[in-house]
Amino acid sequence: MIRIMHILRELGKNIYRNPGTTFSALLSTTLLFLLFDFFWIAAGTSERFYQDLLSDLNMEVFISEDVPDSSLTSRDTPSSLQYQIKSIEGVQSLTYISKEKAREQLSQLVGIDLLVGYDTTNPLPRSFILTFASDYLTTDKLSAIEKEILSLKGVSQVFYSKNWLKKVEKTREIVLKLGMILGILIILTVLISSTNNMRLTARARAVGFQQMRLLGAGKLFLSFPFLIEGFLVGALSGGLGWLIIFYLRQKVVFTKIIIVFPSINDIIIFCILIAVLGSVSGYLGIRRLLKL
Amino acid sequence: MSTNTIIELNNLYLKSDRGEVIFKDLNFKLTAGQSAVIVGAAGSGKSLLVELLIGRRYPESGSVELFGEVIKPCRKKMIKRIRRKIGGVGGLFKLVPSYNVAENILYPLILTAERKKVRKEQLLKMLTEFSLLKQTGELPHNLTRVENTLVQLARATIANQPLIIIDELLAGLDQKTYQRIYDYLVKLSLSGRSMVILSSEKLTKEVPNTSNYTIMNGALV
Repeated sequence: MIRIMHILRELGKNIYRNPGTTFSALLSTTLLFLLFDFFWIAAGTSERFYQDLLSDLNMEVFISEDVPDSSLTSRDTPSSLQYQIKSIEGVQSLTYISKEKAREQLSQLVGIDLLVGYDTTNPLPRSFILTFASDYLTTDKLSAIEKEILSLKGVSQVFYSKNWLKKVEKTREIVLKLGMILGILIILTVLISSTNNMRLTARARAVGFQQMRLLGAGKLFLSFPFLIEGFLVGALSGGLGWLIIFYLRQKVVFTKIIIVFPSINDIIIFCILIAVLGSVSGYLGIRRLLKL
Repeated sequence: MSTNTIIELNNLYLKSDRGEVIFKDLNFKLTAGQSAVIVGAAGSGKSLLVELLIGRRYPESGSVELFGEVIKPCRKKMIKRIRRKIGGVGGLFKLVPSYNVAENILYPLILTAERKKVRKEQLLKMLTEFSLLKQTGELPHNLTRVENTLVQLARATIANQPLIIIDELLAGLDQKTYQRIYDYLVKLSLSGRSMVILSSEKLTKEVPNTSNYTIMNGALV
């Protein structure tokens, strides 16, 4: 208890003696984490946007003319094409588009019926429109499904937005990589700047630390005030960053984009991790001065 | 080694940072209640001997035993424990600049987590003993050299440390202060505390229960 009180008193003295250093550390880390938070929100929002785009993705499977209607749409007959396609892993739903339905859709699309006079010989192919489980909406998996469908007897052609999907995936990958690099850079910057702040504060007391070590003070005992200070500065800067963001959220309204915020649990875990990072920088700042 | 042995140095061999041989086959033993005055010229290795005793430096060969435990670099916890049993004055030992007189004197009792009542009593005893009551809240840079020395002495003895290392404490002191510190050392010696007093010149007065040594050619004679 006495030792804990001593540690807390030392912490108070540290902050009281160097309020400018503590304030500047708090301000700089808050700004850095604010940047991190903005990118976190941007990444979450773009991920949501990506998922929304993917949910509209479907695949059209065109059927050869020689396949009779009767062998197409039976749901219970294993030999029917619908049954075979539906049983492929990842296929979530399947809609049959007959020649008549295709003609109707084309008329709706262009505004007039282009097939007047083709009442007996409708040239439009029959098709199935497939949708997929979200896990399967990747270039690799859809490409494998495409191959499997093309190998089925009676399938003439398969179409989906392959190139668009590739571009979207590439963009997502770039955003994620940038996010990771930025995140690592921010964390490194925070670690280095906090460590330097602590080192500057501690260096002024180097002679005192040496004497305390000679009298039998342990490393942990001496570094505890700095660990707590780092923890507090970390937790406060993380929390302040989010408070600013939540304040701005109430003031700014977005009508076209749904902004995705991390959950409160994620934010709490994030603040705890920052606080631990602050403690680590506190220890790194004082470590060298405690060697004896 | 008997249980009441405070220091035992066996066949110590030590080189300085510049590679000069400082101690060569040095042997020394101090039992509880005994004290030693070690005289040596400047550069003879008095401070290095202190560094060996507090586990800040290790010999090339031979062993340093304190309170029955061999000091080794890998035994940090043990070194920490041993340092709490040693009170240091002068030389390497200085006051903590950011602590006031009271905080400096009390520090050994903070480390041993002594109760508040005991700390208060002991502090008052020390401040009275060394006439430092007026200086309680002063920082070290506001103290005179004599006051600084007295605060160090108070800190070195407040926790009843069984071993007190005194490095060049008595050099250059005025007669009155010399007598005052000498009287206190006699009191400590008579109360059964062990001391190692390092000095560059012979003490003008003998301290009871004390053996005299001189560092000569890397050995204690």
